[in-house]
Amino acid sequence: MTEASSVDATLRALLADILGLGEERAAALTEDSGLFGALPEFDSMAVATVLTEMEDRLGIIIDDDEIDGEIFETYGNLLAFSLRKVTD
Amino acid sequence: MTEHRLRIDPADRPRATILIVPPLFDEANRLRRTLLLAMRALAWEGFAAVLPDLPGQNESLVALETVALDDWQDALAEIAADLPGPVVIASIRGGALIDHGAKAAAWWRLAAVSGSSLMRTMMRARVAADREAGLTSSLESLQAAAQVAPLLLAGNALSPAMVAALGEAEAQPVQPLRSIALGTDGLAGTPLWLRAEPGEDAAMARAIAADIVAWSMACGIN
Repeated sequence: MTEASSVDATLRALLADILGLGEERAAALTEDSGLFGALPEFDSMAVATVLTEMEDRLGIIIDDDEIDGEIFETYGNLLAFSLRKVTD
Repeated sequence: MTEHRLRIDPADRPRATILIVPPLFDEANRLRRTLLLAMRALAWEGFAAVLPDLPGQNESLVALETVALDDWQDALAEIAADLPGPVVIASIRGGALIDHGAKAAAWWRLAAVSGSSLMRTMMRARVAADREAGLTSSLESLQAAAQVAPLLLAGNALSPAMVAALGEAEAQPVQPLRSIALGTDGLAGTPLWLRAEPGEDAAMARAIAADIVAWSMACGIN
């Protein structure tokens, strides 16, 4: 598995765990799929849980000031942010 | 004050009592249903299972903002001393941070987590909620505020002592201990404690009970 596809798989699994999406809905997420504001389960606690789990599972550290609303707007944005952090 | 203890007994005299130390804060609610299913499965195997309320949590009448992490450790030690032996302590997530003060025949920990990780998530939820409300806060500003007054994190008013102790808390060594994670090398199941909306997993509950039973027997409990 390439690094990009492994980050993608990790991210989908993590969203499935936290949002209770189930494998099918998690696999069906596209770059344009809306997250915060689009999925009712995606509240502020879920945002916080996603960040901490991203740190644990991707082995990255996320600073407070790196986070803006856009990151959670779509799955594509979250994936792009994760890939940037992992390759940093 | 004695806190509520949820207890499920087997039909016959218990082989041992499993003292369940639940995850902390909201994670306990998300896992509660599955823990109860595991307790029923334990009773089926001849074990009594006890799920106590920690002071300031669940049905407790104690105000959470008056509670420190040590109080939870002491409360568990008292409960364990009060139970008919042998006692096996089964802790999940943040429960593993407070289970070492009690005396037991064996310990079992599932997906133990550091206090700093729990704090970081709750602080971030507060920062995100503040942002939605048009307020500006940061992990640093919340940490500073928590030194002098109770801090409200995800519905929990945490005392300065609790914030300070939890931020540094790690699971402590105990013996004999089986520490198990979720996943292919560990227990089959999903991290329901992370779930935004509570779910339940009967297969995972059976796996939890089976692993606790196997470990208890490996520790000489028949």
